[in-house]
Amino acid sequence: MLLQLAWRNIWRNPRRTILILAAVTIAVWSMVFSSALMRGIADQMVRNGIATLTGHIQIHQQGFRDDPSAAMHMKNPTELKQTLQDHLPPGALFSARVRTNAVASNARHSGGVTLVGIDPDREKKLSFVSSSIISGNYLDAEDPYGIIIGTSLMNSLKTRVGNKLVVMAQDTRQKMSSRAFRITGEYRAELEATEKEFVFITLPAAQNLLKMDEALSEICIVLPDREKVRETAAALARILPKDHEILAWQEMLPLVTATLRLYESIIYLWYLVAFTAMAFGLVNTFLMAVLERIREFGLLRALGMKSRWIIQGVMTESFFLLVIGIALGNALGAISVIGLSHTGIDLSVFAGGTQYWGLPKIIYPVLLASDAILVNGIVLVLGLLVSGYPALKASHFTPVEAMAHT
Amino acid sequence: MCIVECENVRKIYRKGTQEVVALDGVSLKIKKGEFLALAGPSGSGKTTLFNVLGGLDRVDEGCVILDGDELNQLTDSRLAELRLRKIGIIFQSFNLIPVLSALENVEFVMLLQGIPPAERNRKAKELLGDVGLGGLYARRPAELSGGQQQRVAVARALAGNPAIVLADEPTANLDSQTGARLLALMKEMNQTRKVTFIFSTHDRMVMEYASRLVHIKDGRIRDE
Amino acid sequence: MSLYSYMAWRNIWRNPRRSLLTMGAIAFATVILIFMLSLQFGNYSTIIDSVVKMRTGHLQVQATGYQENRDIHLAVADPSQVAATLDRAPEVSGFTFRAHAFALVSSDNRSYGTVVTGISDRELTTSSLARTISEGRFLTEDEGAQALVGNILAKNLRVKPGDEVALLGQGLDGSVAATIVTVRGILSSGQDQFDRVSFYIPLPYFQELFGMGEAVHEIVVIAERLEDVAGLKQRLEEEVAGDTGRALRVLDWKELSPGLLEAITLDLMTGFLFYIVLIVVVAFSISNTFIMAIFERKKELGLMLALGSRPARLTGILFLEYGMLTTLGLAAGILIGCLVTLYFGAYGIQIPGMAEMARHYGVPERVFPQLSFLSVGIGSGLVVGISLCTSLIPVWKVRRLRPVPAMAEG
Ligand SMILES: Nc1ncnc2c1ncn2[C@@H]1O[C@H](COP(=O)(O)OP(=O)(O)OP(=O)(O)O)[C@@H](O)[C@H]1O
Ligand SMILES: [Mg+2]
Repeated sequence: MLLQLAWRNIWRNPRRTILILAAVTIAVWSMVFSSALMRGIADQMVRNGIATLTGHIQIHQQGFRDDPSAAMHMKNPTELKQTLQDHLPPGALFSARVRTNAVASNARHSGGVTLVGIDPDREKKLSFVSSSIISGNYLDAEDPYGIIIGTSLMNSLKTRVGNKLVVMAQDTRQKMSSRAFRITGEYRAELEATEKEFVFITLPAAQNLLKMDEALSEICIVLPDREKVRETAAALARILPKDHEILAWQEMLPLVTATLRLYESIIYLWYLVAFTAMAFGLVNTFLMAVLERIREFGLLRALGMKSRWIIQGVMTESFFLLVIGIALGNALGAISVIGLSHTGIDLSVFAGGTQYWGLPKIIYPVLLASDAILVNGIVLVLGLLVSGYPALKASHFTPVEAMAHT
Repeated sequence: MCIVECENVRKIYRKGTQEVVALDGVSLKIKKGEFLALAGPSGSGKTTLFNVLGGLDRVDEGCVILDGDELNQLTDSRLAELRLRKIGIIFQSFNLIPVLSALENVEFVMLLQGIPPAERNRKAKELLGDVGLGGLYARRPAELSGGQQQRVAVARALAGNPAIVLADEPTANLDSQTGARLLALMKEMNQTRKVTFIFSTHDRMVMEYASRLVHIKDGRIRDE
Repeated sequence: MSLYSYMAWRNIWRNPRRSLLTMGAIAFATVILIFMLSLQFGNYSTIIDSVVKMRTGHLQVQATGYQENRDIHLAVADPSQVAATLDRAPEVSGFTFRAHAFALVSSDNRSYGTVVTGISDRELTTSSLARTISEGRFLTEDEGAQALVGNILAKNLRVKPGDEVALLGQGLDGSVAATIVTVRGILSSGQDQFDRVSFYIPLPYFQELFGMGEAVHEIVVIAERLEDVAGLKQRLEEEVAGDTGRALRVLDWKELSPGLLEAITLDLMTGFLFYIVLIVVVAFSISNTFIMAIFERKKELGLMLALGSRPARLTGILFLEYGMLTTLGLAAGILIGCLVTLYFGAYGIQIPGMAEMARHYGVPERVFPQLSFLSVGIGSGLVVGISLCTSLIPVWKVRRLRPVPAMAEG
């Protein structure tokens, strides 16, 4: 009965109801959609970061991060690999690498790079390199002279696939060691900075060049589930010798982690702003509706209606309105997210801009259940809270006051 | 000399398939300076005729000539102009703009006519004095009684120096004594200012004041 | 006050709560827009400033092709000629010469490949480099074999002021360029990507080491004001680039840091998308008030028509009413917005996650919104625009009002 009454009251003035519904709907939609976009960007940044050699977890010799040189290596790879084999959850992948700073040069040009020695077959499964080759071939495990470089570096060295490239780096005995390689492949990365920085050779070639024997600089692990990273990293830290440093991606990609936090703050700030903008309209509309019916409320009071019931009645109306607005907003949000889930939003027109901010070129929105719940909760709870004002107002009209009102 | 002439006026309201013939061939001539009462039962077409005469509504057939202008030929904006210059209107209720004081309501028409402020003010005060509201310039409509509001409406109707004042049941919301006083006031204005007045009523006592009485029934003029 | 504005004014206060809420919504949107725009513009000018002051300058004269290829051979052979032109230009606040070459930098036990830059004493008048010294002191041209090293590179090389570092590169003629320099100072710009690679030596020493003679790679120019840049660029192009038969080229800061402008555009556009959504929500929030101003008063408006007001007159009164509501809300919004912006402009804001980002992009860890005519203007403009749009529907409706049916209502 009360519900029915509230429902009819809402539609007394359909135009007004529709206008305020539009405000609620757009506000909710914008909250849902903007969080989906931000989460989409953040998610992609994490994925790109992880695929660009970072992986989920890395193991190094203690101190490697501050001094990424050949001297900082792990001497007992077989033992290490066995431990990982035994303790990582099923489905986890890992790959061994050698990594150091080097100088790449040809007859006329040279540049500073990071030299990475990889196990081509294992690397294929956990990082971007093999899938990003745009000309030439991926590294052949049997080819000790093959090297893969990024497009950007290729351009600045003015070279191409098939040409010779000399790599010079400091070996474990602090001596400069160099060797000529032949460029077998060119890769293209999401960010130009990546293309400029990394060159890849096979693991044995790197160990040979740097006189490391069987030693490794890093082991990169990718887990089947990103949520388990911290847990697994902690477990590994307990098992592995103390001179090994175990890092989760959150620590290795501080900029991405910071971006995630910044985006989270922006999302919540936006919730607040969009809600406030909508709340003004909501309170105003209910105030109008209530003032218009001032005689009616007076009459109800004269008939002996308790003010609590009047408050309840007005709040029920507001509840209906909010629920409809929220439902429409969510539906619109879901439609826009689903609609964009295949094509994404292509930002390549702003390629320079996306490069600068380290953003993905195409954004695919990702709607998180937690965000959706939060949005709906905020709008419903705070929405009811602010409509308490007109409801209280309605309950305070005395019959005499109400009858005098025209 | 006629100020208003209507010939065979028909006005039909259509609602869906239903047709209501509100005016069914009304012909009427009103001379300058008349104080004419239009009498008829509820639903007979009085208000409709007033709207048509006042240029508020258009006829379906026939023609209305007001002070030489054939109303059907005028555009909406010319009609507004005509109402402003030649017609004073008094409604049954709701005559005044709520946010304006009594004085400002009277001034409003003169403002539309473009009369300078000082003259506006002087004339409005004079008119309010004439209708016996000398001390109540600053009151808002909500602070005046029904009779006082109708007097302000009379003053306002005269403010624009109209050729004719149309009053549709001006006394309907008033008790008979107040109504009679309002009519006496209108009659006085009619005589001192030589303004033509047409008013409608179904109150016998009020009809007494009229110098000419026209009966209307079912949209037709019955007798005089 | 004319009777019309008086009527409009009275109409607003017929229902004070409603009007206050409506003005509140308008003021809220204004505050948010002014504040956010000030924040964005403030950030941009900090970023541009840091890029211009730390690295590129407003303008550079380079050999054609150097920007794209960074080839040591593409040098400005006779910088003194350009310098003479620059000395004469009143818009130039300072200029300096730089030369770059790739080299292997080695300490006792570590080696890194990096770009070595030769700087002149003029750097002090041009860039903020000297202000980033965190240890030791700045270098001077006449002191030969000495270097300034970025703090991360210094850490990687394990050197501190007073230590020696070996340089190994390739001279202009292809010969080996090798020397040993003493670290004179450590630079901490706060930008990791910068501090990881910075390595400076005196320009004359650089020219000798790499066999460059008098040649340099960049002539970095700072203009008196950012607005002067375009005009100055054109003049330099005519005088310098023209004289040398297009062997030299003038680049402005936008060309020197490609991506920066696009990055700003992208950020600005993203911001505007949010602002548009915000004002649409606000528009719907206030539309009820605007529309009510008509529907509640149909009778009254009908009466005014009956008395001979032209529809345009009613439109005028309604516009006045909306205009007053908007103006009052806007005025409150501008006032509060400016105060809030000024407050945070003085104390800065810390947003979680911002500090790390700031280190990367080279802006202070706190963001300081910068109140400007532009942010206030655009913010208020958007609000006025949306309020105008919102008022169009009711105003259009009032034009179709006919006196008789309008008065019959309610
Ligand atoms: N807008 C309308 N739509 C349809 N029919 C109408 C409309 N206005 C008036 N009518 C009809 O036209 C006829 C004449 O109405 P009108 O208002 O002129 O009567 P009236 O003489 O003024 O009556 P009252 O004394 O009650 O005011 C009536 O039958 C009425 O029902
Ligand atoms: Mg009638």
